[in-house]
Amino acid sequence: MKIFCRDLDKALSGDPALAAAFEGHAASCAACAEQLAQWRRITEAAPSLRRAWDSPDLLPRIRQAIAEESQRQNAEPAPALAASRWRWLPAASIAALFLIATAGLWVFRNGGSRDPLSSHWRTTKDPLLTERAIDDVETAEKAYLASIEKLSLLAEPKLAGASSPILVNYREKLDVLDSAIAELKASIDQNRWNTHLRRELLAVYQEKQRTLQSLMKEVKS
Amino acid sequence: MKSIAMNLLGNASDAEDAVQEAFLKVHRGAARFRGGSSLSTWAYRILVNTCYDAMRRGRRRPESPLPDESALPKGGEPNHPLRLAIERALTRLEPRERTAFLLCEVEGLSHREASEILDINENTSRTLLFRAKRGLQRELAAGGAFAPAEPS
Repeated sequence: MKIFCRDLDKALSGDPALAAAFEGHAASCAACAEQLAQWRRITEAAPSLRRAWDSPDLLPRIRQAIAEESQRQNAEPAPALAASRWRWLPAASIAALFLIATAGLWVFRNGGSRDPLSSHWRTTKDPLLTERAIDDVETAEKAYLASIEKLSLLAEPKLAGASSPILVNYREKLDVLDSAIAELKASIDQNRWNTHLRRELLAVYQEKQRTLQSLMKEVKS
Repeated sequence: MKSIAMNLLGNASDAEDAVQEAFLKVHRGAARFRGGSSLSTWAYRILVNTCYDAMRRGRRRPESPLPDESALPKGGEPNHPLRLAIERALTRLEPRERTAFLLCEVEGLSHREASEILDINENTSRTLLFRAKRGLQRELAAGGAFAPAEPS
């Protein structure tokens, strides 16, 4: 391949074959060699433009703003959001990007599922559960969790070493859900009578169950 | 995310405001997300558009030679002459070219990821990056940081 100085732009614009050929030309052309060297110096210096600074107030600000917005949304009927299968994402995004999944960010609405816990929550009006009711809930929760764990065990080998974008997305989502479950459990341990937290935990379990079921369908298809 | 916002808007305070606004938009837009891209790509896209909006609203472009000294570069020498010269030259690029350079060269994202964030195809992303680097090269030569181009 015959290469000329005028081929510089083509060589730099990403054609690997032309770029390699141009290297040969630059070996005997000082002006083109200088152009290539400048190009490389920009590439080498670019990562040093990454910025980092402490922002201790930023995450609390974001959490507060989202919590305030969630409260406003809760005050208004929002059937479209409640029906969305992606309503877990506000918290998931925060968790994935900040590695924090906080209970306050998870605003789920129970979409009327058929699991044993849902019927209990639908009939519970009192914000403070009695001790006996809590025992009932926790027993049902354990049974429900055991069934989800069975699904997790089936899904685990499919996700291990997954490289396709869709499976990576599933794995990312499940990681976020597990983080949220752990966070909510920790919050519930500090306040066993908080019905709101328990509803949120149930919603996350349900989302995990749906995600696992959807994953298994995806793998089979 | 702060880094991208900082390099687009030019100061730490505006960058943090943009990140906060972007997360609120992620929260509001969750119902519209259908998993066509990864979570992080989607969030980046919202952030970049939020920064563009902020630039349009306030005509904010990082005009100062040092955008904000409180936000230090990650690693390396903070005041390396070439880095400072590139920062200055970046402010003179067209926003999409600047963003392509920030995403691909500074943040290390692939053209596929950059194209999803900018809502363009991969070839356009490559073209924008090429133009950005060529533009930087010209600006650096004009500013005396590089020797001017003299093709034989």
